[in-house]
Amino acid sequence: MIQKLVNILLVEDDEVDVMNVKRAFTKNNIKNELFVAGNGVEALDMLRSSIIPLPRIIILDINMPKMNGIEFLKIIREDENLKNISVFVMTTSNEDSDKINAYNLNVAGYILKPLSFEKFINSVATLKNFWSLCEM
Amino acid sequence: MTESAQKCQEELSALKKEYEDFVYIVSHDIKTPMRAIANIATWIEDDLGPDINIDILNNFSLLKNRVARLENMLNALLELSRINRTEMEEYEVNIPKLVKECMATLDNKTNVKFHENYNLYNENCITLGKKLNKVIFNLLDNAVRFHDKQIKNVFIDISENETEYQIKISDDGPGIAEEVRQKIFSIFYTVNSKDVLDSTGAGLTISSKIVAMVGGAIQYTPSVNNGSIFQINWPKIISVKN
Amino acid sequence: MVAANILIVDNCKIFIENTVNAFSQIGIKSTLCFAENDSKAWSMLHGKNKLLPLPKIMLIDINAEGINGIDLINKIRFDFELKSILIFVVSNIDDVEKKCDALNLNIAGYMHKPSEKGEIVAFFSILNDYWNSIEFSR
Repeated sequence: MIQKLVNILLVEDDEVDVMNVKRAFTKNNIKNELFVAGNGVEALDMLRSSIIPLPRIIILDINMPKMNGIEFLKIIREDENLKNISVFVMTTSNEDSDKINAYNLNVAGYILKPLSFEKFINSVATLKNFWSLCEM
Repeated sequence: MTESAQKCQEELSALKKEYEDFVYIVSHDIKTPMRAIANIATWIEDDLGPDINIDILNNFSLLKNRVARLENMLNALLELSRINRTEMEEYEVNIPKLVKECMATLDNKTNVKFHENYNLYNENCITLGKKLNKVIFNLLDNAVRFHDKQIKNVFIDISENETEYQIKISDDGPGIAEEVRQKIFSIFYTVNSKDVLDSTGAGLTISSKIVAMVGGAIQYTPSVNNGSIFQINWPKIISVKN
Repeated sequence: MVAANILIVDNCKIFIENTVNAFSQIGIKSTLCFAENDSKAWSMLHGKNKLLPLPKIMLIDINAEGINGIDLINKIRFDFELKSILIFVVSNIDDVEKKCDALNLNIAGYMHKPSEKGEIVAFFSILNDYWNSIEFSR
């Protein structure tokens, strides 16, 4: 449960989007520790080298340099130590092919980044409520 | 086809694909910095606290309004570049029901009177339902949105012949001045300034591209009462033109 | 959200009844389908009597008598047509091993099963908000 405050890893290359998530977390009073990786390669390094405690939740962007979100997802789903992490996609891509690929790799949700920050706060609030139902 | 004509055809489709990909990638990649502008404006506004100067507040709302406009334009470009790639399923639709659905999804229907008239042997047809819906919705939306009278009459007349449906959507609104009639199908063109009536100016462009794709026709004529008439010929058998 | 089918695998009559009531109270437009065990569920997902359209969301009580939930999820995950289904697991007993198995099969969430009427409405209204906030493929 969220009360136990599981760690969250945000994989996102855009600085403003990272700040956006941090702000929306603060606004929603989400106190879980948030780690940030700038792309898939960096995220894999962090997960495999135990630089950070293993997160239960990953928030994943799709369009990123070096290794994009879908490629990253494929790799962690094949890794015995990482495969059970809950992944939530957060992206601007409204492409059906990205949605199909993400759900085929069993993400728990696919969220479109809205234009307005107010709407984004609401999306994060919904996510928080859902997390509070889940035992991680 | 001769060999050189075929080569020309191949080059043309390759160019078209390149153009569509270009429009898609550009409009998609612009979205991230654009969202950043909208978000940072909100943060600054938020950080300034409640005692904020009214002029600053107004400027913030202007800034956010313009970014929202930019988003609408990018979404329209994305839609335009994706017209022949998404929602291409042919399925059975009931034409009067489809019109009713379009009317129900319009957001402002106060004081609007719809007059429907169908002259059809068979109300059902198998067609690109989502596309037909889009075209009819856009025309109805324009008829209502740009109407200038207290009571807004909108007329829908649909009939058929052996090969096509004739869809006529007309209104008793302001009509379109003769000198700008050439421009109404161009992207982002709006008759009024976008500050007077906030609209993207992409509906007719998208509609005419859909109609061209299905091998039909769309044309504008002024009506006797100065309103607008849009006449669409929608073929019964669709051979998609790429 | 798309008004898709939602398949619930459970055999507790009271829970099913409360779920149907909660859905109408909240105003969830999706069609609810029920299967009383894993083999009934499988026949609704596979073969000539499968649901059309196939559900995009499933809810499975993993510790109910007579439901082999892990087996069912496993089969779904190895089926090309079904593997993308969003699966939510509920349970009213603590079974660490099964929870682990379910999480390894990439379920969307492992949740304590609500039992009381009001609790069930609250549970589904949170889930419904979540379903409405996420995108599904067409």
